[in-house]
Amino acid sequence: MQNRILKKRLIGCSLFLMLLLSIPAYAGAPLSAVENTVNRVLDVLRDPKLKGPTAKPAKTEKLRVIYKDMFDEMEFSRRTLTRNWNKFTPEQRREFVDLFEQVLEKTYLDRILEYSNEKIVFYKETMIGEDKAEIQSKVIASSKEVPIYYRMILKNGKWKVYDVVVENVSLVQNYRTQFNEILAGGTPEQLLETLRKKVKTH
Amino acid sequence: MKVNLFILVLVIFFFAAVGFPGCPAPDAVCARLPEMGNGQVIGDGQWGRGDRLWAMGDGKSQDPVHAESPSAGEDVPARKDMKPSGRSQDAFQDEYKDEGQDYDDEPFADERVTIADPIEPFNRLMHRFNDRLYFWLLKPVAEGYKEAVPEPARISVKNFYYHLLFPIRFVNCVLQADLTGAGSEAGRFAINTVWGVGGLLDPSSNQGIELPKQNADFGQTLGLYGVGHGFYIVWPFLGPSSPRDSVDIAGEYVLDPLSYFTPWYTSLGKRPLKMINNASLSLGDYEAVIEAAIDPYIAIRNGYIQYRMKEVQARRDRSLFFRNRKNAAPEAADPPPAN
Repeated sequence: MQNRILKKRLIGCSLFLMLLLSIPAYAGAPLSAVENTVNRVLDVLRDPKLKGPTAKPAKTEKLRVIYKDMFDEMEFSRRTLTRNWNKFTPEQRREFVDLFEQVLEKTYLDRILEYSNEKIVFYKETMIGEDKAEIQSKVIASSKEVPIYYRMILKNGKWKVYDVVVENVSLVQNYRTQFNEILAGGTPEQLLETLRKKVKTH
Repeated sequence: MKVNLFILVLVIFFFAAVGFPGCPAPDAVCARLPEMGNGQVIGDGQWGRGDRLWAMGDGKSQDPVHAESPSAGEDVPARKDMKPSGRSQDAFQDEYKDEGQDYDDEPFADERVTIADPIEPFNRLMHRFNDRLYFWLLKPVAEGYKEAVPEPARISVKNFYYHLLFPIRFVNCVLQADLTGAGSEAGRFAINTVWGVGGLLDPSSNQGIELPKQNADFGQTLGLYGVGHGFYIVWPFLGPSSPRDSVDIAGEYVLDPLSYFTPWYTSLGKRPLKMINNASLSLGDYEAVIEAAIDPYIAIRNGYIQYRMKEVQARRDRSLFFRNRKNAAPEAADPPPAN
């Protein structure tokens, strides 16, 4: 009898220990990092002082600060170019990162500004190794739910987003195929030119 | 009824003729990829594993990431000696290295799906046609419709159309050996028919009942069985698809209850309303995709196959039968480097 209780305790203790040891150092950090940033974005969007079309530039400026902090555009760019990156000179790379960021900003900013109190839920964090994580969230609108996953990387003690998966489509993968196609038949300069045009036209 | 069957047979015959290269069993490996377009055969292309797609046919749209790191795998320890990111300053100088497994997203490697596109010129034409159709016709009409009809009504219409296609979802849940899913769909159908005014409302999704929608279709079922996409095809009006996924066009016709009561041409009339209604609920989505894209055609093609692959994966995880067979299928060979 005594023995059995002891055994139970032993098992209990070791289970607890195992649980303790298995908690990775940064557990919860990436999730709260995205959640905080998204909440900061929502605060700006809901700010009554920033309503109306006249406040758009101010709003944009505020949002820019937040997402610069949230995204790792270098990681994003390199991952989309992969080995094509080596075909670019350092100056071209600089320009590419800059242009690519502008393209993304132009398209997604308008979408973000359309926000009208949809509910956003963060519900899952998956650690991938020690320095990467995937955070799953969904945006719940009246007619549908859109799953959005953030892939994050730990750099200098900070979790930054390097890929966004919207409705099961990874943006990095998607741009990668596009850039590949363009670079398979063209030069980096041509790609940059396409991007320059894209930034100018809207 | 007879006519329906006849059409189904015709369609199947069509695909058989156009190309469902003969790959009998799910796990069977085609020795060689059938050559398509200007395609050189790469690796030993396989039909295996649902959406572990074909190796590329046209050579240029390959995803070089396949080749990024052939030695991928046990990389967690290797990652530790990844450069601590003082990178941001001199990152522009840094070369991209294949060997350093820096950019090797092993857990997401499945995403590097590719699809053969031997009829790209035709597809691009259809893409442009659909694009014009959206901007010139569908969008203006949907905007007017949106003004005229309040959102709850539009959601009801959407629910109704969704409700009608219950047989497809049910049959496919069964075919995919997802019995919980089939049960859930049957429950949804019963509840929404009775309490949801013939499917106009969706009480099954409400709290307390919470029967999740199962978006099962024939394309996924075939994917689960090991049939690959084949190649990319853009249908006029219907958009991105593949021979495999096109089976649903036929399936939708055969299993749509309305098609039994009404002459075939009414389904032509039904589709525009469905399209307009759905468009009115997702105005801006397509524009965002197009605007974000550098080459919209490629962006949509890649988006489509990524989306379908994840769907098949998700369905496979639910399946009683196929869940554990995930790794039983032979690995598709990674095509060689693109550059």
